[in-house]
Amino acid sequence: MKCYTLIFALVMALAAGFGCAKKSAEGAYDDGLTPEMRAAIQQITDARVYFAFDKFDIKPEYKDMLKAKADLLKRYSTIRVRIEGNCDERGTQEYNLALGERRARAAYEYLATLGVNPGQLEMISYGKENPAVQGSGESVWSKNRRDDFRVVAH
Amino acid sequence: MKKFLLSAVLCLFFSSSAGAAMRVDIYGPGQNIVNLALAAPITGPQREAAGMGRNLQQLVEQNLSFLPFMRLTNPKTVLGGTVLAGYEPPNLDFRRFQLAGSDILVTCYWPNGDSGTNAVQLRAFETNTGGRLFGKEYSRVSSRDLPEVADRFCADLLEALTGSGAFFRSTLAFVKKTGTMRADVWLVKPTGRDLRQITNMPGEALSPAWSPDGRFVVFSHIDQKSHALGVWDSGSKKVQRIRFPGNVVIGPAFMPDNKVAVALSNGKYPVIFLLNHVFQKERILEQSDSINVSPTFDRAGTKMAFTSSRLGGPQIFLKDLGTGAVTRVSRNGTYNTEANLSPDGTLVVYSRMTDYGHRIFVQDMITGIERQITYGPGSDEQPSFCADSYFIAFASTRGSGRGIYLTTRHGGEARQVPTGGGQASFPRWSAPAQ
Repeated sequence: MKCYTLIFALVMALAAGFGCAKKSAEGAYDDGLTPEMRAAIQQITDARVYFAFDKFDIKPEYKDMLKAKADLLKRYSTIRVRIEGNCDERGTQEYNLALGERRARAAYEYLATLGVNPGQLEMISYGKENPAVQGSGESVWSKNRRDDFRVVAH
Repeated sequence: MKKFLLSAVLCLFFSSSAGAAMRVDIYGPGQNIVNLALAAPITGPQREAAGMGRNLQQLVEQNLSFLPFMRLTNPKTVLGGTVLAGYEPPNLDFRRFQLAGSDILVTCYWPNGDSGTNAVQLRAFETNTGGRLFGKEYSRVSSRDLPEVADRFCADLLEALTGSGAFFRSTLAFVKKTGTMRADVWLVKPTGRDLRQITNMPGEALSPAWSPDGRFVVFSHIDQKSHALGVWDSGSKKVQRIRFPGNVVIGPAFMPDNKVAVALSNGKYPVIFLLNHVFQKERILEQSDSINVSPTFDRAGTKMAFTSSRLGGPQIFLKDLGTGAVTRVSRNGTYNTEANLSPDGTLVVYSRMTDYGHRIFVQDMITGIERQITYGPGSDEQPSFCADSYFIAFASTRGSGRGIYLTTRHGGEARQVPTGGGQASFPRWSAPAQ
């Protein structure tokens, strides 16, 4: 029993040591991120672009959000983002893979047009294979027809 | 395991036909029903075989139950019973089977008994004329050979009646999903036998397709970072993951010359490329300023059906690969995808989004007439023609979860293929094994 307790304590200690970034006295994190950069990454990844059914054009209401992302990407040129195009469950899988790619490309091209270095961007389509929300109905589908922005390097 | 098969070939003299010409037209609109009786398996006159004989009988019954045009005669309706004095004329009493409404009688004779490893003789007769449709002997059959004996016999019987035994000679490749972004490729006989997993890799496999020679199964593979073409080699049992420049690898399909067509990135839209024999880009088969995906070919490789959004929503188009002419196939509905061209090139089957989920439609390319062949419930998708251009496999959510079902070019009641649990989809037929 004592042995198990010791192992558990060791595992917890290791998890505490490696599981999350710790802030240093200078305000930087030990993963090399400054608070500003961390906030930038948060802003880039948090906001999603949503689409109408079987459409891949960027709606006007998302253009300011993409401009904000573009500004951050230009300011932090080491950040690399994967744009992940997704679809709702209604369409068929092969066509949705193509549609998801068009959605990812739409955001990619818009960011590039705003001056983001294309080398900071990559794309993938998951079609309908990676829903953000499970279930059916327009309230669910509308949340799944989206572009996610994932920081893959910084 | 295969020893008995060689013996079956050596015994071709035994399979001579007496000239009976009973045929079942499964392709015409008035598909007829055939009533078939299975005589009890025997080891001698009036001696019923109770070992392997009974097991083989059950397997043959299970197989034949998948044929929608065939009704098995209830043995209880046969006056005098089905245990016969012989296995071929003149020792066969056809009259009792005629009275039970049977058109065909199948006899099963184990000359040396039905335990251990022994020979079995199977014969099919037309009850009306007494003419033999065909007969086969399978030597050195043990209990583990019985499923394959049943499949081979049923394939030969089906071929004798309809002209094609492809159903029992084919294997379905399909995808089984086990979680978000996790799916592998499996194989199964359309009767549910011989189920096996052939890939086991992180990520999601989609759209498997057989090579015409049966050596490869290709598929789209998506992981967190990229799309790739998966290639399973039945010889080595190994899987390659082949990347291409760009972002998508969608819906691969083999052409008759064993080359692969697949939608790949090329600028703004996916383009259908032809790959060479080592899976490198050879040339573009179809492109436009729109999405072009899901190529499918007839047996001759002269026509390609595909999905395109060139007119707005996705619709089915047909390209004559000789002239390059493209014609629209689907004219109803706003969302038609997942075309599959019948091997004989006369039909295109595809799924249409409706208010009630996807439904499967068949369009006759000669008459232009479109017909709905599935009605749910749930969503019916990913139709695929068997090599006989008659059977169609598709994925449906009509049961608990998603499963593989069988229907025909005429529609009718769908039969589920047992796939051992999990979410099964993307059925694709192999070419018939020789």
